[in-house]
Amino acid sequence: MEFMLSNRRIWISTLSVVAFLGVWEIAPRAGLVDRAFTSQPSHVIAAGLEIIRTRTFLNDVYVSLLEFAIGFALSMAIGVPMGLILGRFPMVRYLLDPPIMAIYATPHLALLPIIVVWLGIGMQSKIAVAFVGGVIPILVNTMAGVRGVERSWILAARSFCAGELEVFAKVILPASLPSVILGIRLGLSRAVLGVVVGEMYQSQAGVGNEIMRYGSEFRTDYLLFEVLLVSLFGLAATSAVRTLEEKLWTAGR
Amino acid sequence: MDSRQIKSAPLVLGIGSFAVILLVWESAVRLGWVNAFFVSQPSAIAASLAHAARDGELWHNVSVSFREFAIGYGLSVVVGILGGALAGRFRIVEYALNPFLWFLYSAPLIAFYPIFVLWFGLGAPTVIAMTFLLSVTQIFATTLSGVQNVNPGLIRAARSFGACERDLMWKVVLPASVPMVIAGLRLGIGRALMGVVVGELFGATAGLGYSISYYGALLKTTDMIASLVVVIVLGVLCTQGLSAVEARFDSWRVGE
Repeated sequence: MEFMLSNRRIWISTLSVVAFLGVWEIAPRAGLVDRAFTSQPSHVIAAGLEIIRTRTFLNDVYVSLLEFAIGFALSMAIGVPMGLILGRFPMVRYLLDPPIMAIYATPHLALLPIIVVWLGIGMQSKIAVAFVGGVIPILVNTMAGVRGVERSWILAARSFCAGELEVFAKVILPASLPSVILGIRLGLSRAVLGVVVGEMYQSQAGVGNEIMRYGSEFRTDYLLFEVLLVSLFGLAATSAVRTLEEKLWTAGR
Repeated sequence: MDSRQIKSAPLVLGIGSFAVILLVWESAVRLGWVNAFFVSQPSAIAASLAHAARDGELWHNVSVSFREFAIGYGLSVVVGILGGALAGRFRIVEYALNPFLWFLYSAPLIAFYPIFVLWFGLGAPTVIAMTFLLSVTQIFATTLSGVQNVNPGLIRAARSFGACERDLMWKVVLPASVPMVIAGLRLGIGRALMGVVVGELFGATAGLGYSISYYGALLKTTDMIASLVVVIVLGVLCTQGLSAVEARFDSWRVGE
């Protein structure tokens, strides 16, 4: 029964995607829509093959990946410890919570222009945008995780003579790990978005730069291929973290 | 510390932290530690805001952005809730739409902006389309999971008292999923704001995002930060407002 259900799901999903691609392919051929506006799956694939063969392609991917990796690594390196501290010490939290919440409620990409003024149009500004995008969800969720740790566990550890450091390392850290991972997943997609949009806004290289270039030349096929590439990357990275998350949840139960 | 002190501590420290930030910022610039060209200063920003408010530029930008936000977000609320409810009730709809939802959820939708400009031209329609697309996925996904997680016992009970599919939808499923839907609306607001501001950064001729990028291009840091401050304040107000609504509907939560 279970097998049948999931089988049906795959069938219907596949069918609907195939139908979508079919309509997309046929409609311009039949003259129902203008090909310049919608492109076609076959054209997107052809454009992709052409893009992959260009000399700059690998460099663009490398630049974007590097910006993402540095920015996101920084946001984890700062977001997790800050979240732990804020979750553990109420006074620090009361002090820093309002500014953090204000940044959380702000669309982080609105900071792009000012970051470009500060850091220029090179890689630094994209790293900074990826960092700002990633750090806040990581921090907020880590904080929430620490605050959600069952008090009785901490008390139990204390009554067995665990010091503050031991409580932190052996109770609080493991117990809040699932929400830390959740924060990392949420921050990840915002960091990817930050890099791409940052490159679209002002840059000299990278996938976002290419998207903007193809966009301004109205080469829809090429543009769509690049967008697809970024989406697949985002999807793959998010799914990887989600798998990790599910493993941790089941391990924690 | 008595209980009243404990209660007021977050508020006092919160206001205090903003005051300290403003004070340090202002005095760092005045004392010449940092260059006002890069960071501006609170007093200059306040003056710029007052000026923009007086000559009507502020209201114009806010009203343009708000209109785009209202239309884009409004559309996404209607489409997201209807679509989410349908997909939650009918497996076949869910399975058919799922791949697209996943794609839209993880795709950097803002990268579609050049195509939108091609379709709708520069200006409000492009921004509205982006706002809609960004928030509709969130509202759809949350409504879907809200509808799917309605206690099956409630549905069986209603069925056994002779409820038809329409009664089930209106009287059981939708009311039971209200808390989730509202959580989705709150998350959707954040994404819709992002859509408006970023849409305007790239493809607009008016609005708050436009003025941020316009002053940014002119390197007028003060005016740029002034617009940014307005965006931040509006963002906080919207999120807080919806959180308040969410708290009101919390009593609708049905226990398992």
